[in-house]
Amino acid sequence: MKSRIIVLSAIIMLLMATSSGVANPGGKGDSNRDYTCGGSCHGDPSLSSPSSAVIEVDMPLTAYSSTTTEVSVSISNLDVSDNGLVGIFLLGSKNGNGDHPEDYGWTIVQDPNGGSSNYVEVVSSDNQVSVSWVLLVPDEVGSKEIFVSIHHGSYYNHDNKAFIGETDGIAISIEPIPENYPTLAEGWTSPEERISGDTSTITIRTVNTESLTVNWRLSGESKSHEAVVEMITQQVWEVSLPATLGDTRIEYQMTATMGDFSNTMPWLSMGTSEPYFDGTSLGANLQSISFALIILSFMISLQSWFSPRGVRKTIDNTIEVEESMVNDEKSSISDEAYWSRLVKSEENPGWLWDPVENQWVADPNHSSGGDA
Amino acid sequence: MMFMIAFHHLVVGLVAGSGVIMGICAILVWLSGYISNIESSKSTLDRAAYVASIFTMIVIPLAMISGNFSSTNSGGAIFYNKFIFSGIAFGFTASYFFGRMRFGPDVWETPNLAMLQMISAVFSLSSIMILGSIGSKITLGESTLDFLPFWPEFASSIVINQWLSLLLLIVGIISLVISLRSTSVKNLL
Repeated sequence: MKSRIIVLSAIIMLLMATSSGVANPGGKGDSNRDYTCGGSCHGDPSLSSPSSAVIEVDMPLTAYSSTTTEVSVSISNLDVSDNGLVGIFLLGSKNGNGDHPEDYGWTIVQDPNGGSSNYVEVVSSDNQVSVSWVLLVPDEVGSKEIFVSIHHGSYYNHDNKAFIGETDGIAISIEPIPENYPTLAEGWTSPEERISGDTSTITIRTVNTESLTVNWRLSGESKSHEAVVEMITQQVWEVSLPATLGDTRIEYQMTATMGDFSNTMPWLSMGTSEPYFDGTSLGANLQSISFALIILSFMISLQSWFSPRGVRKTIDNTIEVEESMVNDEKSSISDEAYWSRLVKSEENPGWLWDPVENQWVADPNHSSGGDA
Repeated sequence: MMFMIAFHHLVVGLVAGSGVIMGICAILVWLSGYISNIESSKSTLDRAAYVASIFTMIVIPLAMISGNFSSTNSGGAIFYNKFIFSGIAFGFTASYFFGRMRFGPDVWETPNLAMLQMISAVFSLSSIMILGSIGSKITLGESTLDFLPFWPEFASSIVINQWLSLLLLIVGIISLVISLRSTSVKNLL
């Protein structure tokens, strides 16, 4: 009976746990995902509702093949959960599976968070979100579509539903690249981040580029500065950007030039990461305890060094007890010597003669000692 | 874990509070040997510092454990430094407590020992202030001690190999045992 109750309780607990384990309220992080594998079962109509958000996509409707283009997404009227998290997909179709832009020839040069994912999670501010992707346009000439889809929670969401929003396809006409059009080499992606304080250069690969100009600015600033660019081999450039510290993001924009024609590309950004640190929690704990023990032993040694004689713990009377024991022993020894020198007298029973002091002493062993 | 963050904030407040009481009271007791105005409060200040040192010794390990398990622990150099300074703060606090327990209130009657007690308390208080500053850097990105021109950079740390750390721990234990044996303190425990 007892085991049945335990099993039943375990099943009930597991069933209760599933209700809180369905969703991913904290998000799943940026990554490359198909829409139906967006980190949850929110694609299921029974677990989702339409979002009230308004999604606007801004991008050039015509682009040259193998050149960079920017997709700007503005989302407003969002009703999000208390963590404000919104997941945004950039998709090449609405198939559900195999709908990553790269499945349609696009290359993600940079996502809104500095990486190269088609799915990003951002925190909304004032119920609005604005993000942008930088893409390398497919080689294939013709018409391609881009879709944006979002999912998020809601503050009042008792059914734990996902709120889904999506756009219609934005058709982009891809035209053949003009001859000798200066642009980035296929496959080149922007570095996601640099280590704090790192002054090493960034390598950029281009095609049909005679000269490359790079401007940089710190995120949030409007004034830009020109970076030092050096061509190391044919169509490979090294750009010197200043080192960044903390959580600073640096943005840079490249302008590739061939003859009289210049191609100014979208702003790219690069985050700052903490330097590599190989310390472990266990090592820190061990070191911490070691320091504590070493300091303690050092200070105890110093205390002993400075401690004067006679200063000791108040409750410790060991020395006094030892001294009194020695005194008692000494007195017993002197008593024995004293009694041994006394001489018995036949004439005066009960009395002992002390030849040193020249006096009579009562014999303690005599029954009527000293009374005769 | 959200609980650990809240618990860590609570315990860190207790560490700071008890550490400041211990430090300030110990300094005042030491000063009472030179300033006659506070001599009458010497006994009270001494007891307050003693009790505060015991409490600090209890809450520092709790702060370390809660900090270790809280989600703010990203395992970077700044956290490494926090652990190390926790150990230093604990070492000096324990030294203060041990000196007071060993010699009683008479510790303040011997100038050298009184100085040593004061130094232990001041170093403990300084370590706790640095700990608080590191915590503030982690959570707020800035600290009230930022105005100091010589404030060290806590974003980097000297990392000792784990085996060397273990060796250091053994050295620490041995040195403590030797100190205790050589001072015959074992009789007091």
